[in-house]
Amino acid sequence: MVQMTINGKVVKAPDGEMLLTVIRRQGIDVPALCDHAAVEPCGSCRMCLVEITREDWNGWKKYVTSCLYPSENGLIVSTHTPELQEIRRNIMDLYLARCPGSELVQKMAEEYGLTRTSYKTIPEGDNCIMCYACTRICEVLGRNAISAVHRGHAKVISGPFDDPPPDCIGCLSCANICPTDVIEWHDQDGTRAIWGRTFDLISCRQCGKGIITRDFAEYLKEKRQIPADYFEICDDCKRVELARKMGGLVDLAKEVAS
Amino acid sequence: MAHDLAKIQEIINRSPQSPGSLIAVLQDIQREFHYLPCEALEATASSLNVPLSKVFSVSTFYNAFSLNPRGERIIRICQGTACHIKGADLIQEQLVAGLGLKPGETSPDMKYTLEVVNCLGVCAMAPVVVVNDKIHGGVRCDKALKLVKKD
Ligand code: SF4
Ligand code: FES
Ligand code: FES
Repeated sequence: MVQMTINGKVVKAPDGEMLLTVIRRQGIDVPALCDHAAVEPCGSCRMCLVEITREDWNGWKKYVTSCLYPSENGLIVSTHTPELQEIRRNIMDLYLARCPGSELVQKMAEEYGLTRTSYKTIPEGDNCIMCYACTRICEVLGRNAISAVHRGHAKVISGPFDDPPPDCIGCLSCANICPTDVIEWHDQDGTRAIWGRTFDLISCRQCGKGIITRDFAEYLKEKRQIPADYFEICDDCKRVELARKMGGLVDLAKEVAS
Repeated sequence: MAHDLAKIQEIINRSPQSPGSLIAVLQDIQREFHYLPCEALEATASSLNVPLSKVFSVSTFYNAFSLNPRGERIIRICQGTACHIKGADLIQEQLVAGLGLKPGETSPDMKYTLEVVNCLGVCAMAPVVVVNDKIHGGVRCDKALKLVKKD
């Protein structure tokens, strides 16, 4: 355990735990756009910036991304100084220019009093904030189907050679984790389309609803030792079935009791 | 364009077969072919055990790598501040007209590739034109075309 000061309060935390986690545990709300519990932090959005200093730094201080900065003894952390708020406001101003159509960005920008960007908006821009949550989750899943390609303004999330990614299994993890909902997909007639590819869906034996792509099911069966028949019935139907069984139990119990 | 896979593999094998060699291997391939052929990226990915998506990401990130075939002679016109002031625009005009290429383009006979860069760190020599790895300083716009063609 190490001891630090956060906004004037003495706080204990496990050595090396990232500052953002510690700060949040204190009930302090530091904004973060690229942080997600399912993936390693990557420090891309810069919103979680905090100010740190130490007794022996003689008044010297610096800004660090709290999602990537490990706790250490003697740190003095400030999370909401006027300078930090100004930096965050500027970042949101830039995000507004890049992703004017994103509701999340609009909402966060509004918290800094911004309703429109003071920069030029990117005309052909999409709502991607380049947080890499999608590529990181794809890596966690062991697929690495997509990555950030090209550089600067031209950077986009895409498959190798800008083609539909051959390693994609249509699991939707990227689309689900994306904070600004920019990854397009749709299910139709027993198939799922995403990243320019089309996958077969396994349909629920009972209600016929698409459950999961065949490729994803195969992958899970192999990697996670999931029973072969696990994906034959959808979660909703499983719940109904369970409820029916439970209901039967209740009736049985009543019978026994009477 | 089909490439000698054996040659590609030979280049890859020069480095330790681990993900840490990625950039070194790509540099060696770039040096050999003047660009990174698709087959080479695929072979690199499987040999070094790096996902192809990551190899592509790295290849498109660095300016030193090109995914398009480049000419035998790569001409870089510096358009950094110092060179700009010393007339890099005029040099560019001459070369664009003389070679019939816009910046970023390669001649159909694969002889020349014209590129524009921002400051090569030798501002004292401005204006600067680099032909392959040779730096030419104090380039005169009336001599520029001759310079890139001869040397
Ligand atoms: S597509 Fe979504 S998850 Fe992926 S980098 Fe862009 S904003 Fe982040
Ligand atoms: S949450 Fe730390 S940089 Fe995005
Ligand atoms: S500006 Fe051309 S070398 Fe610096």
